Amino acid sequence: MGDQTSEVRIRPVEELDIEDIAAIDEKIGGRYRPEVWEKRLFYYLRRDPEGSFVATAGGKVVGFMLGEMRAGEFGMEEPTGWVEVLGVDPGFQGRTVGRQLASAMLDRFRAQGAHRVQTLVDDTRPQIEAFFAALGFHPAPVKALALELDATKRGS
Amino acid sequence: MSTNTTTLPGKFHDAVERWRERFLPDYSILLDNWEKFFPTDEPFRLCAHRECGMCTTIEVGDEQGKPKYTRACEMREEQAHHLLAAIRAQASTEFGSIQQHQLTLARAQQEQDQFWVLRMMAEELRHGYQMLHLLLDDDWSSVSKESGAEIVEEILSMRTGSHVLGAFNIDFDSFVDNIIFCALIDRVGKYQLSMQRVSAYQPMAESMPQMLREEAFHLATGVVPWRRMVEDAARGEVWVSMAVLQKHLNKWLPRGLEMFGHEKGGDTNVKFGLKPMKNGEAQDAYYQEVAKMVRDLNLRFVRARKPELDHAQAHAVLERLLGGEVVEGVARPEELLRMPHREFFRRRGEPAFHLVGVDGEVFTDVEEYVRYLSRELPEQYLAGRDFQGFVEVLRKLVAGELTFKEATAASPNLRRVGGVCPCSKSVRWVVDAPGNGDGAEAVHDGQPRA
Repeated sequence: MGDQTSEVRIRPVEELDIEDIAAIDEKIGGRYRPEVWEKRLFYYLRRDPEGSFVATAGGKVVGFMLGEMRAGEFGMEEPTGWVEVLGVDPGFQGRTVGRQLASAMLDRFRAQGAHRVQTLVDDTRPQIEAFFAALGFHPAPVKALALELDATKRGS
Repeated sequence: MSTNTTTLPGKFHDAVERWRERFLPDYSILLDNWEKFFPTDEPFRLCAHRECGMCTTIEVGDEQGKPKYTRACEMREEQAHHLLAAIRAQASTEFGSIQQHQLTLARAQQEQDQFWVLRMMAEELRHGYQMLHLLLDDDWSSVSKESGAEIVEEILSMRTGSHVLGAFNIDFDSFVDNIIFCALIDRVGKYQLSMQRVSAYQPMAESMPQMLREEAFHLATGVVPWRRMVEDAARGEVWVSMAVLQKHLNKWLPRGLEMFGHEKGGDTNVKFGLKPMKNGEAQDAYYQEVAKMVRDLNLRFVRARKPELDHAQAHAVLERLLGGEVVEGVARPEELLRMPHREFFRRRGEPAFHLVGVDGEVFTDVEEYVRYLSRELPEQYLAGRDFQGFVEVLRKLVAGELTFKEATAASPNLRRVGGVCPCSKSVRWVVDAPGNGDGAEAVHDGQPRA
């Protein structure tokens, strides 16, 4: 369990947060994947070092939200903020950590001139959709489609 | 965010390109392989960027709230003098690091590591170019007898040994230096760029955001391979050991600490609105950040040594090891990296020439201290001019043959001693006379003299 008494603070993500982010991912998903987070985090740091955020409590990272502004995705030409990864330490869930992270990220998108923010949610995790719905997100007229390549004939 | 992009006037752009051909000969290989190693990133381009939409009022210091300066001639003379020194030092470090990295670039074991360093070198070239843009885009005659063009010429003529800050005058001995340098010395760069982002001189502030975006990759160029090396060492691979990594940490951290300037200095830069933090405050934050990095590296070591441990178990094991306990089946405490004491191996600032060891132990006999240093620093480094110069000065200081002030000024460095042509053979190793040295890092408020 986390230190429930510490005040939660939000700041831009830094490269030294990788180990803490990997630890939160491990607590949620049960796998230690620092290489995955190295690649992802450096991608976002390269794009906009002040555009992704961590939440800290007592100096320890307890949540993170990664995203960026993009234009031209799926034929949408206007610059759009994309919230792409969210993770909150299980010991700090229910303390509005995600909401505070989202608030910082939405402010950033607004400051950069975005009028729209998008994300994709996993149908099998309704709590994630509920989280975004509580922030005001609503279903968009875009449907995610997927194809399992292993099930197709290669080279045909 | 949006940026305005520009290039230097033709002859200066060409001069940088010629410099690049000489000191970054693998540039075309980088461009040819860009898609392979950096498929999602924009291709590299040598140009200057100025961020749009930044704060236009002075953010710190005596003039907080007033409009930022757009021309140097609008500034007070001393203020502009400090600014010019900062630009010159920044430019020198950018070009200097390329010369250092080139020495050992070919020794990288992993192709990816090599291309990451190569990209970082190209971006350092762009950072230097950015500073030259500031020098050439304004009139500095109010604070310098040299024109912007002459200062640019001087910067492009600097070699390892003649750069403004000490860390950029040390030859690399192996690719481990490339890695540790990126993780430690570029991290100082991140602090300097972050602080200069609030500069009261608008062109300086506008230059920082793109440089900071690129600097994040430079830190990765150090930290990511360093983590791999730690994991390899934990698994018993033979090409790198924790002892070797510790020695390189010992070599570079003291130089990184000194780059912030004297611990008691920096007030003037804050007063002038050029930086938001004094030297000591920034150095403290840097030291804590490096300590966090070292702790994370040690955690990686534990997890690589014992992959079946989960996060909480690995932390518990690390705490026991850091407490000096041998954890059977995992590691001994001495196998971990340890953070060098802030006073270890210093030649600038408050603890300059104190006989202090890596763990803070104090020595009383100079020869014993020199023997100790020879065990705690990389073997190849001991034979170089930098270490030999340090030992010589230290011995003379302890023997009373030099005063402290003379000692801080006495580190040998390459300097142009005549002529202005960058192609001339006018660069020599020189030792400053007392009071004329590049003790600048120690005595000049954290900014070297222009």
